[in-house]
Amino acid sequence: MANLPIEERLLHYFLAMGGQSAEPIPNSPPGLSLLIGPDKTFVAILSNDTFIQRNKILGSILDLSALRSSVHQLYLAAPKLLGTAIDADVFRSHGIGLLLFDDRRIEEIVPPQPTQPPQTTQIVQNTDPAFATELASLKSMYLEMERTISNLREELKTFQQSVPTAPSSPERITAPPMVQTQRQFTGPGAELPSFFTNNPWLEVLSKRGREESGLLAG
Amino acid sequence: MVTDSYRSHYTFAMDFGTSDFKFGPITCGDAPRVVNNRGYFPDKKSVMYKAFETAPDVIVGEEVPLYLQSNEDLSSRLIYPMRNGVIEKADETAWRVVGALSEYGLSTFTPEPNNGFQGYNVVASLSSVSPRYMYEQLLDTFKQANATGSVRAVTVIPQPFAVAIGHGVTTCVVIESGHGNSQVCPISKYPIRTSQVALNRGGGDANAITSEILKDAGYADLANEEALVRKVKESIGLVPADLDTAILEAKKSPRKFRARHKVPGTRIEIDLEKDSWTRFLIGEYVFNPNHEIFESYFGRGMPRPKDVKMGDTVFRGMLDFGDAIIASVERCPVELQPLLYREILLSGGNFSWTVPEPLEAVAVDAPTKIKLLLRDKGIKNVSVKMTKSPQFSVWHGCIIYGFAVPDEYEWDWQRLEGWMKFSG
Repeated sequence: MANLPIEERLLHYFLAMGGQSAEPIPNSPPGLSLLIGPDKTFVAILSNDTFIQRNKILGSILDLSALRSSVHQLYLAAPKLLGTAIDADVFRSHGIGLLLFDDRRIEEIVPPQPTQPPQTTQIVQNTDPAFATELASLKSMYLEMERTISNLREELKTFQQSVPTAPSSPERITAPPMVQTQRQFTGPGAELPSFFTNNPWLEVLSKRGREESGLLAG
Repeated sequence: MVTDSYRSHYTFAMDFGTSDFKFGPITCGDAPRVVNNRGYFPDKKSVMYKAFETAPDVIVGEEVPLYLQSNEDLSSRLIYPMRNGVIEKADETAWRVVGALSEYGLSTFTPEPNNGFQGYNVVASLSSVSPRYMYEQLLDTFKQANATGSVRAVTVIPQPFAVAIGHGVTTCVVIESGHGNSQVCPISKYPIRTSQVALNRGGGDANAITSEILKDAGYADLANEEALVRKVKESIGLVPADLDTAILEAKKSPRKFRARHKVPGTRIEIDLEKDSWTRFLIGEYVFNPNHEIFESYFGRGMPRPKDVKMGDTVFRGMLDFGDAIIASVERCPVELQPLLYREILLSGGNFSWTVPEPLEAVAVDAPTKIKLLLRDKGIKNVSVKMTKSPQFSVWHGCIIYGFAVPDEYEWDWQRLEGWMKFSG
């Protein structure tokens, strides 16, 4: 196994975890495209010569970050030799997984944080046929309704033209509506004792001082 | 329903009954707090008082029994201010008790600070025969209580008016019968004060004749124990539909009508035996003391209920309840009279009479007795009821009054209604 190229070793590693090989992702850096369950996963691979290309690690992280919108899980696989030069916190903060490998082993040092890529294109692509039918039906109903309203407008216009002017329109009430200033008692509030229920005195007493004084009172 | 949030929390009612003081805010629900309407003035010269000098001048509320001293002192130191419904203007000790009870009531329900409390809207109720100076004194008492910020506005209404409100009837005659006297008060949205009739007769008079009956039956040694006499009255006293018939029946079947009362916790048993017919005198005397049979008791020294004048009101001694109702109703406009007879409400402990099942043919309850008295005088289309909650109907009425009457309805000395405001 140690003699195989790292790409194949990584493929076997993910196959062992239940993944499967997938179509390459457009505009992605060199690496592996996989499907682990429903999650699209991409693994960028650094080679040993990265050690002498100082910006290669940072560049790979930026490239992976650019795939966030289309991939659920991102990994960077790097030789163990580079482990001392890599700050794991940078990976954690970007949600990118880190795999370190040598001739014998592949180890997941930082697990990736799955993301939810935008679904817009997927929805359009995977449109449910029943949904499409329903949409078409609604569109048709809307057009029908517009036609009906238009016809009604026409009929109303014709009717208004045919009816002579009204003999005398009723006089509009111009006085403002009466404002109820007295409290109305129809039943007890939730917090009031039970003896308030249907007690006619609530109405009578609420008018005290607002009506002519009772002549019978002594 | 639009409710006044403030008043639905801070309406406070106080019912100064002859025996009990019922008090509490609207938030008490259906039942207020109850303490005896009394105050105790401890002997400040006593060793006990000097040893524990913390006691106030007058003690009210549940702590009264803890301070009671010798029996000899009780009559002068334990004061029931409303025993007769009316307090004399110069009776300083009685007014001090009323003041102490008011403060006790308010301090028992002190709201939490910083919750918008600006003082209670207090509705107090007094006997309908209370003269004007009682209103003045009571309102002054609350003015003093306002120094602590516990009272925002206060009003005083007559007890029969509160009963009508609590019962939910706007046109009626209320008969309130307490320990010392009874009041007949017509109501038509307002209390019709000029038509009131007051009787100088109450539960205390029923106790008096019970005491005479006990003496005649050989229990003279027990006849002076007021609490015991009251228990005997409640236990054996009956209201006859017709006194002559009831006496006849009881004398014919003394066993069936036998009146016995066992005093709990003692060996004492009172048994009227062949004189058990006298149990009907107790109830009859409350409703109508004019039967000739009572003359023998008056002749032997039992005081005849007299006409007395208290304040501006004459309390009639011998008027029976039927005549009292008719006299009161006939002072009202003619077209109102049939409506008043159609709703007669009985309130107060003096109307709580039971009817043992085997004696239903001759004994009746209070509403039936009133109906019979009115029927004998030609008034037939009447409805007489006991109040729904005899003990608390006055307090209920006060709470409804305080909740419903608008804040801007100011106190009017002519009408004796409205809010006397102290702040806000």
